[in-house]
Amino acid sequence: MLKLGTVEFKSRLILGTGKFSDTATMIKAIEASGTELVTVALRRFNREKPSDDLCAPLAKLKNITLMPNTSGAMNAKEAVRAAQLGRELSGSPFVKVEIHPNPHHLMPDAIETYLAAKELAADGFIVLPYIPADPVLAKKLEDVGCAAVMPLGAAIGSGGGLSTAEMIKLIIRDSNIPVIVDAGLRAPSEAARAMEMGCDAVLVNSAIAAAKDPAAMARAFALGVETGFAARQAGLMPKSDVAVATSPLTSFLK
Amino acid sequence: MPHLPDWLNPEPWLKHTVSAQEVERALSAESPDESTLAALLSPAAADFLEPMAARAQALTRRHFGRTVQLYVPLYLSSHCSGGCAYCGFAADRHTDRHALDFSAVEKELDAIHAMGFEEVLLLTGERSSQADLDYLRECVRLAARRFHNVAIEVFPMAEEEYRSLAEAGCTGVTLYQETYHPETYDRMHRWGPKKDFFQRLEAPSRALTGGLRFAGLGALLGLADPRYDMLALYRHVRHLQKTHWQAGLTVSFPRIRHEAGGFVPPHPVDEKMLAQIIFAFRICLPDVPLVLSTREGAAFRDGMAGIGVNKMSIASKTTVGGYGSEGSKEGQFDVSDDRGLDEFCAMLRAKQLEPVFKNWDGVYRLTA
Repeated sequence: MLKLGTVEFKSRLILGTGKFSDTATMIKAIEASGTELVTVALRRFNREKPSDDLCAPLAKLKNITLMPNTSGAMNAKEAVRAAQLGRELSGSPFVKVEIHPNPHHLMPDAIETYLAAKELAADGFIVLPYIPADPVLAKKLEDVGCAAVMPLGAAIGSGGGLSTAEMIKLIIRDSNIPVIVDAGLRAPSEAARAMEMGCDAVLVNSAIAAAKDPAAMARAFALGVETGFAARQAGLMPKSDVAVATSPLTSFLK
Repeated sequence: MPHLPDWLNPEPWLKHTVSAQEVERALSAESPDESTLAALLSPAAADFLEPMAARAQALTRRHFGRTVQLYVPLYLSSHCSGGCAYCGFAADRHTDRHALDFSAVEKELDAIHAMGFEEVLLLTGERSSQADLDYLRECVRLAARRFHNVAIEVFPMAEEEYRSLAEAGCTGVTLYQETYHPETYDRMHRWGPKKDFFQRLEAPSRALTGGLRFAGLGALLGLADPRYDMLALYRHVRHLQKTHWQAGLTVSFPRIRHEAGGFVPPHPVDEKMLAQIIFAFRICLPDVPLVLSTREGAAFRDGMAGIGVNKMSIASKTTVGGYGSEGSKEGQFDVSDDRGLDEFCAMLRAKQLEPVFKNWDGVYRLTA
C-alpha cells in the first residue's frame, strides 16, 4: 500500500486533471487508470460556472481523493493562501505544492516550495511538493514534515521521460518518505522504469490527456506502474558489463 | 526617427533569401530559435503550411492540452486624442464619442460575468479627461470584484501608474507596438503622445515591473512588412522573457483590414500568410499562449483553434458598452466573428477542445 500521511492507497498511479478535451474524457481516463488520488489546480475551480469547474465532477467520484494544487502561485505566500482556499473548497487535507514562477518553462522554485511546504505541513496539511530532482532539497522537505516528495522526470508536458534518473535514484536511496515522479513521463514504459528504480508512485497528466485515446492510455499507464512495481518487488537481476561464465574461471583457487 | 536597438532590429534576418531546404531543416529543428523563425516566415515556407500546422498542433497540445482559454473585451471609452492613421477611434474621425460612467461600467461587467467569463480586457483610447488613470483605476476595481483576471489595453503609463492599477486588482496589460518599423511607425502615428516609439516599446516592461503578471504583445499586421514586424516582435518577446522571467507573456496577431475611416493597409496579410505566421510563432515559442480575436472570421478561427492558437475572445463588442445595454453606434473595428458564446463553445467541443473560462485565480493577485 502507498501510504501518504495517514491515508493508504492501493493504486500507485496519481493523475493530473488538466489539458483534457472535456470533463467526460477526463473522468473516463480517471476510471480506466484505477487511480485513487487526483490533483486539480485551484485556478480551475469555478464554483460560479459549473460547466467550467473541474472540482465538482471530481468530488462526485467514488473512492477518489482530491489533491488541490497551487499551480499559478509565484511564491510561498501565494501558495499557502491557495492551499488554504483549496482545502476550504475541496475538504481535502492533501495539497500538492506547485510553485513555478516562470510561466513558460514551469520549472519549480525550490526555495519558495520549501517555505510553503514547511508552513503547510505545520498547519496540518498532507503536503506533496513538486520539486526539482534535488536529493538535498528532498531530505530538507522530509525534515519539515512532507508526506512525500515529487521530483520531476522532465519539464511539465515535455514528454522528456526520466531525464533526471540519476538524481531520482539518489533521492530514493536516502528517503524515508515516498518518492513520486511527477512530470515529464511520456510512455508507460517510463512509468515502469520509475517504479523499477524504486519510486513509490508516479503522477501523470499530459501523456494521458494528449494521447489519441486518453482512457486507453490511462489503462496502459496503470499496467506500466503495476509491472514496474511487481518487478521491483521480485528483485531485478543485477546488471553486469561482462558475461558471467557458467563455469567459474576461479574454481582452481582454494 | 527612432533607431532600433540591436536587440530588437530584425534587419539582418531579412537580407538572406531562404531556400526550401532551409525551411525543411527549420521544420525539424530540435531547439527552434530565431533562425528557425526567419526560415518559417520566409516566402519559401509558404509551400510548407501543412507540415508547419502539424508541428504547431503537436506543440499546442503538448503545452496547453486540448483547451482554449476565453476572454472578452469591454470598451470603456472611445474618447481619443490620438492620430493613428488606421484607427476608427482616431481624433479626426467623425465618430460619436462615449465613455461609460461607473454605474454603466458595473452594468456591463455584470452582464459579461453573467455570460460566464472570468477574464475581461478593459479598453480605452489615448489618455483623456474622460478616461484618465483615476477613471481606469476605479473601473479596474469594479472589474476585480467580479473577475479573476482583469487586463487593460489602454495608453502606455509610468511604472507607478501601473503599480496603482495592480494594487486595484489589475493582472495584465495588452499593448501592441502596432509596428516595429520606425519609419512606418512615425508615418502611422500622425500626432500626440503615441508618436514616441520608445515610450510605447518600453511600456510592457514598466507594467511588469509595476506588478502586473501578464503582458500581451503584438503588431498590427498590414502596416509594415509582416516579416520585419514578426521578427522584431519575436525579439521583443525573447527580450522580455530574459528581463522579466516571471512574466506571463502572450502574443496576438491582429490583422488590420478596412476600419471605419476607410484605411487601406499598405502591406495586406492574407489568411495563408497569417496562418504561416501563427504556425511559425507556435513552433518557435511553444510555451507562449497565442491569441486570436474576433477580428478574424469564423472559418479561420475554427481552423486555427487548438492548432496554433490557444486563447480567443468571443461574443465581443467593439462599441463602447453593448453587453448590458445598447452600445454606441460605431465600433473601433468590425467584428468578423459575431457568433454568440454558446455557439462558439459548441464549435470548440465538436473539435474536442475544452473552452476554459477560468485558468487563474484572484488569490494570486499582487501580494507585495
